[in-house]
Amino acid sequence: MTLRALIIALAALFATSFCANAQETRVSAPKGQIIEKIESDLSSRRIEIESNFTGQQIVIFGTIENSKQSDFEPGLYDVVVVVKGPRDTIVARRKSKVAGIWINTRSLTLGNAPGYYAVLSRRDVHKIASDTVLNAYGLGFDAIGFRPIGKNVPALAAQGLSEFTDAVIRIMQREGLYIYDPDGVVFVGRNLFRATVNLPANVPIGNYATDVYLLRNGEVLSHNRSNLRITKAGFERFVYAAAFDYPLLYGIIAVIVAIVAGLAASAMTRRD
Amino acid sequence: MFEIYLPIAELSVNLLVILGMGGAVGFLSGMFGVGGGFLMTPLLIFSGIPPAVAVATEANQIVASSVSGSLAQWRRGNVDIKMGTVLLVGGIVGAVFGVQLVRVLRQLGQVDLIISLSYVTFLGIIGVLMLIESVRAIRRARAGGQVSMRRSGQHNWIHGLPFKMRFKHSKLYISALPPLLLGAFVGLLAAIMGVGGGFIMVPAMIYLLRMPTNVVVGTSLFQIIFVTAAVTVLHATTNKTVDVMLALILMIGGVIGAQFGARAGQYLKGEQLRALLAIMVLAVCLRLLFDLVIRPEELYSIGPALGGH
Repeated sequence: MTLRALIIALAALFATSFCANAQETRVSAPKGQIIEKIESDLSSRRIEIESNFTGQQIVIFGTIENSKQSDFEPGLYDVVVVVKGPRDTIVARRKSKVAGIWINTRSLTLGNAPGYYAVLSRRDVHKIASDTVLNAYGLGFDAIGFRPIGKNVPALAAQGLSEFTDAVIRIMQREGLYIYDPDGVVFVGRNLFRATVNLPANVPIGNYATDVYLLRNGEVLSHNRSNLRITKAGFERFVYAAAFDYPLLYGIIAVIVAIVAGLAASAMTRRD
Repeated sequence: MFEIYLPIAELSVNLLVILGMGGAVGFLSGMFGVGGGFLMTPLLIFSGIPPAVAVATEANQIVASSVSGSLAQWRRGNVDIKMGTVLLVGGIVGAVFGVQLVRVLRQLGQVDLIISLSYVTFLGIIGVLMLIESVRAIRRARAGGQVSMRRSGQHNWIHGLPFKMRFKHSKLYISALPPLLLGAFVGLLAAIMGVGGGFIMVPAMIYLLRMPTNVVVGTSLFQIIFVTAAVTVLHATTNKTVDVMLALILMIGGVIGAQFGARAGQYLKGEQLRALLAIMVLAVCLRLLFDLVIRPEELYSIGPALGGH
């Protein structure tokens, strides 16, 4: 497979050269010790959604520097990749049967809800680290960090809240916008890894952060972030921007387009 | 390869499917001489377009179909401009109110429900009435009787109302209140349901206002242009739910379909056509009702947080 070869080559390149675009943070560094460090990058840093966009895969690849691992199998390290889309406030609603029909009766506003959230690892994240660590770094569906807003929050018991957040995760998973893949990170050499993640057609636009965490014995050793920007391109971007930035002009143009279409249709009918 | 991304509906659809839907509804509207909005909006909803986007976009499409329709009527001198203007003044008031209602309903998360309920109610009533009427007409035709038209000219309660105006073209001297209220009601429906409202307007003009039948369709189409144009602009500014891309595809499909429909309609009998349309209207009504009554597979839904607080 040529793609695979290319990825390995690229990853190797990054292993030896300085990664210019990615930010890196060393999480814990005991003195006088060579510490493992993770470097990573994305197959594309900018994705433009055009009218024929039906989704796209991105590859996150990287390397562990100063790896103490003799080959790729033993699993001395865990690599967790988290791709997060722009966060927004959403409303989750629940239907109940009222007078024979199903009506939205209860709702919960959730702040800080990512429009896209993918977690990829080599095994179940709960086996990798404790809940405290997972929550601190936002690893896994239980650590997304929804922030319930509004008056009805106290009224909903803890159980009621989780019912709503579980539903949001379930719906977003079905739409391919939330992904949890505990087999998603693959080691391709002693210290090279890659992860492939799917961005579906309905992926929200905005700035994405791709965080790669290197863990050992439940501790985060190193973290590396790459940024991804998803934008609407071409005519779609123009239409979308016009609709939200110049709504009055947009509405008037929509009407003019319709009038012209109507006149054209009328002219066509008259000919025959 | 024919997948196309709709920027406002925010989903990918198959270009040919949407074009085909526009064509099919255009065919029906050409054949039956109806607007088609009351069939198109539910079809868009069935194919996954958010109901609020379906309604606003369909209003945009109706501007196109009513322009071409009313031009043909205009050439035959079948438009009562004065009556049309009174109707559309009411219509724009109704549209403003309707668009604000949609805005509030979206915040409350009830807009889908109200759109569906409005459709179930109106499609149910109109479908049943049309079916009864057409079955009777078919029976009468079989019995060999003449299909008689109700004649106007008699006075009713409407003639007792104040603010009388003279409508020369319609040969009427009546109060401006009934057409204003009728216009407002239809404008409200246009904003909430994405319909032109001809199915309410035409019978009301004939039986309530007692307008001569020859000016009814032209005048109705004339005011629909302005009311749906107002609905389009108001939805675009208030709710940002007009998808120009979708509207354009529907317009193209609709124009082509209407051409063939008008020709096909000439070879079929009127009563049978109406019975067929009635059955289709009822089928759409039942499907919408079914979706409301049957327990949904997923009780939860997610939407954007819209203003409010």
